[in-house]
Formats: sequence, structure tokens, C-alpha cells
Amino acid sequence: MQLTITHVVVISLTATFLLLAADKAGGLRKDQYVWTPPATQAPITAAADPDKGKPPPHNDKVEDLPDGKGRETTFYTCTACHGVALIKAQGLTRDLWDSTIDLMLEKHRMPPVKPDDRAEILDYLAEQFPPRRRGRGSDNPFLK
Amino acid sequence: MKSFGTWAASRRNLLQGASMATLGAIFPIESVLAQGTPAAAPKSPKLLEMDGKAKLSVLGDKPLVAETQAELLDDDVTPTDKLFVRNNGQVPDVTGDPKAWKFKIDGEVDKPIEISLGELMTKYPAVTLKLMLECGGNGRSFFTPEARGNQWTNGGAGCPEWTGVRLADVLKDAGVKPSATYTGHYGADPTLAGETDKPSISRGMKIAKALDPHTLIAFKLNGKDIPLIHGGPVRLIVPGWAGSLSTKWLKRIWIRDKEHDGPGMGGFSYRTPKKPIVPGSKGDDKDMAILESMPVRSIVTFPADGTRLAAGARKLELRGHAWAGDNDIKTVEISTDYGVTWKAADVKPPANKFAWQRFTASVDLPSAGYYEVWAKATDTKGVTQPFTAANWNPQGYGANPINRIRVLVEA
Repeated sequence: MQLTITHVVVISLTATFLLLAADKAGGLRKDQYVWTPPATQAPITAAADPDKGKPPPHNDKVEDLPDGKGRETTFYTCTACHGVALIKAQGLTRDLWDSTIDLMLEKHRMPPVKPDDRAEILDYLAEQFPPRRRGRGSDNPFLK
Repeated sequence: MKSFGTWAASRRNLLQGASMATLGAIFPIESVLAQGTPAAAPKSPKLLEMDGKAKLSVLGDKPLVAETQAELLDDDVTPTDKLFVRNNGQVPDVTGDPKAWKFKIDGEVDKPIEISLGELMTKYPAVTLKLMLECGGNGRSFFTPEARGNQWTNGGAGCPEWTGVRLADVLKDAGVKPSATYTGHYGADPTLAGETDKPSISRGMKIAKALDPHTLIAFKLNGKDIPLIHGGPVRLIVPGWAGSLSTKWLKRIWIRDKEHDGPGMGGFSYRTPKKPIVPGSKGDDKDMAILESMPVRSIVTFPADGTRLAAGARKLELRGHAWAGDNDIKTVEISTDYGVTWKAADVKPPANKFAWQRFTASVDLPSAGYYEVWAKATDTKGVTQPFTAANWNPQGYGANPINRIRVLVEA
């Protein structure tokens, strides 16, 4: 049998369709998300799903904070409300970390904290997250 | 690292038929890292992954706080997916018919009102305006040393189109008593600890601002129902003032006969020093004044910070936005030589009062090499942007230094 251009076209197209079908079914790329038609999914209405439109839940681990004395106390006290990213993004003087704890206690519903725990948290924050930005403000001669 | 925003901006430029000079000159290939970092943002910010939102820069994930990269703020009207996200508490459950959502106005009024969103929409005329929403702490990361809180660059701002009714119209029905001087706002968001009977934040404003015809009880954002993450089904929009006044998930406006005292009022919260404070010190909260109008600010939205320009590029067509709280922008000036010389940009009038203003400029780049492009806006009161963040305060409000982006003209 002679191979004509028609044969080539038919074979190529058939191969292409087969590959596309296998790809769509997820057979070729196992790690890829395969789209499932909505009809086969459980119907979810806005009224039934209070989490619709909310940010994904976020949970940190103790290890997300740098190692140091007071890490655990700091983690469990602060992450009741805040993600560690907020802590790590800040670099504050000891005075400011101290007044941050006051602010949380006085204005933002933080439960009372034992004096020993407070001292441990303050030591940890002041040591691990001191001011990092350099410039005229960082070595102010009037800053005790 | 390829910047999505740079590509998007570049593509838009193409679609709008920008000048060939710009097209030839700008080849955003990768971000230029380090080199005297004018912006204080981390070098590789975590990007937001959330349905309906662009890949904003995440400042905090609990509560979710995310700012918009300057190059993503290039649109004249900020699309919903590119609007920054700021939460002070948890996002509340909002289920059932949004039109049944109720809030009340009480306190120093003749007739307290409790009204559903559905009734509000039928009873009062709707207005649609492009209004600035800006976090009170926008620019905080420019302070040295660091101030407390989320480390915003300039991305805690946007100017989308809001539809709602005028708070003034509703207050007129309630009958504001002569004793009324202030408001206090409450939303449905639980505190970060999960309490639903305590406000996560509750701020207020002078009654005159509440009566401003641009202060809205809003229910649509860019023509669609306000998404939950942006405070839907109903929120306040208090343009030009700290975003924390624009209460999301609105439940109550308490009309008061004195300055409001909820969480977020007093102390160093949303207040700036009347007497300058030693940067990094505790300061004295008796010498503080409430931050009302946001300060004058400009951002270059095209090109992106860190853009590489093709060898031979000698002109840069740039653009951005400027705004100034209660005031309009009078001028925007551009410098490519660290402020030695300045050139006036073209500044368009705002779409309406409290909308940001577009500026464009064409600047010369005399040779290959590294340039910083600085933008400095001046408002209609003659107030301009400082060279560095000024009037340091512990919680970091009012930082509005001149905007700086870096470009490299390839040799």
C-alpha cells in the first residue's frame, strides 16, 4: 500500500485527537488538576456556605518564628490573634514592643498576661526583631 | 523574576496605542534587586492566592492584609481584584439574602433608624462615584526606624467606582440633633480572638464629614455587589480620610455628642504628633491629633520599579496617580537626578471630587545606566511631599515621601 498525503493527514489528526483526549482526561499529566463538570459536584449555595468569599484559613507553626528563649510563649500568646508574618515584618525598639503589648491589652481585647510571661515575650521580641532599617532615624542621638 | 504587573501594564500600553517611543524603550525583563532600595518592601513578597483577587502583596495572613503593587494600580479606575485588602478582625459570616442585611443609626438623632439594605436601595437615590479608599497607615514602611503595624508601601490605596446612597440623605431622615458632633461606626466583623459581641475596631468622624455628599453607604463596587472581603453587602465609604472609617459589614452608626472613643480612637491610633517625637521612642500620646484628611501622595504606576529599558532608550514615557485626601492635586513634578532638577508632569483633573488624578510625563535619560525616577505631588493648599517620611510616630501614620522607582537603561 502506498502512503499518500491523505494517509499522513488522517493518521496525524487521529493521533492528535487521541493525545488531546488523553490529556484532558488527565492521563498524560498526572500532577495536573483535572476539571470536573459542576453537575457532578455537590451543589453549594451562598446561603449554605458561610466561608464563601473568605480568605483561606491560615495557621502558623512555632518554627515559623526564629529560635530563641521565649519563642513558644510569644508564639502562643500572639498567634491567638495574629499571623507571625506581621510580627516578622516589624523591627521595633524595645520601647515600642513594650507599648505594643500595652496597646493589645488596653485596646484590642488581649487577655491579661502574667508578668513573667510578658517579660519573656518582650525580651524575645526585642532581641529577635529590633529595628532593621538604617538611616538618620536608626541611630538617633536622642534615643535612649 | 518576571513581574506580572509590568507585563500587564506593558500590554495595556500596547492596546491603548501608546507612542512607539515607549514601546521601543520599555522591555520589562526582570526586577532589579537591591541597590539602595528606596522602597522598604521585602524583596520577595508573598503573593495573595484568593478567588476574585489579583496576586497582591500579602502583608499579613491573619488577619488578611494585602497591598497592591504600584504597577497594578495603573488603571484609571481600580478593578475590584486589584483593590487592597485590610481587615482588623475576622471576616464575618454573611449568609441569606443580602438585601435583608440591616443596620441602624442611633444616638443624637430625633428618630433612630433601622433599615435593611433592600429598603435603603428603594428609599434613597443612588449615586455612583470614583472615590479613593486609602488605609490610614499607607506608606508606613517608609519610616525609619520602623513604626508599629502593617508595613505598607504605597499600595494601601485604590480608586474604584462605588455606588451607594449618601449618608447625609439618611441622616436627614433620622434628624441629626444640634448636640451631634461625631459619629461612631460598627461593623459585623468579630474580633481577632473571635468575639462577636465586641467591636474589632470602631472609629468615628466629625459630623461635617458624615454630611459631606461624597460620604456614602455603599453597596456596589465597580457596578457589582461588594464582595464579602471588601465589606459587602454594605459598607461606609468615607473618601479622603483613613480607610478605617469606611466601616465594612456596616451594622451601626452611633451619632455622638463627643469625640468617639471606640478601639482605634485615642492613644497613638490614627493620630499624628502635634509636637515632633524622637523616632523610635514611646512618645507621649497627649500630644497627638486625629488623622483626618490623608496626606498628598503620588505613585508612578508605569513603568514598574525595576524595569530594564532597551539599550539606546533615551526617553521614558511614565504615568501614575496622585491624590491628597480632602484636597486636589495642583502639580506633579518628576526628577531623574535625585531632586536636583524637576520637570512638571501633565496632571488631569479628577473624575469627581475625591478621585485620584492621572499624571503623565516624558523624561529624558541622557545615557545608559541606572536611574531613579522621583515623583512629587503638591496639593491645592500648596502642601507637597517630603523627601523622607516625616513626623515619625509609634503607629506610623502620615508617611508620604516622594515616590521613587528604579530603572536601568541597558548598555
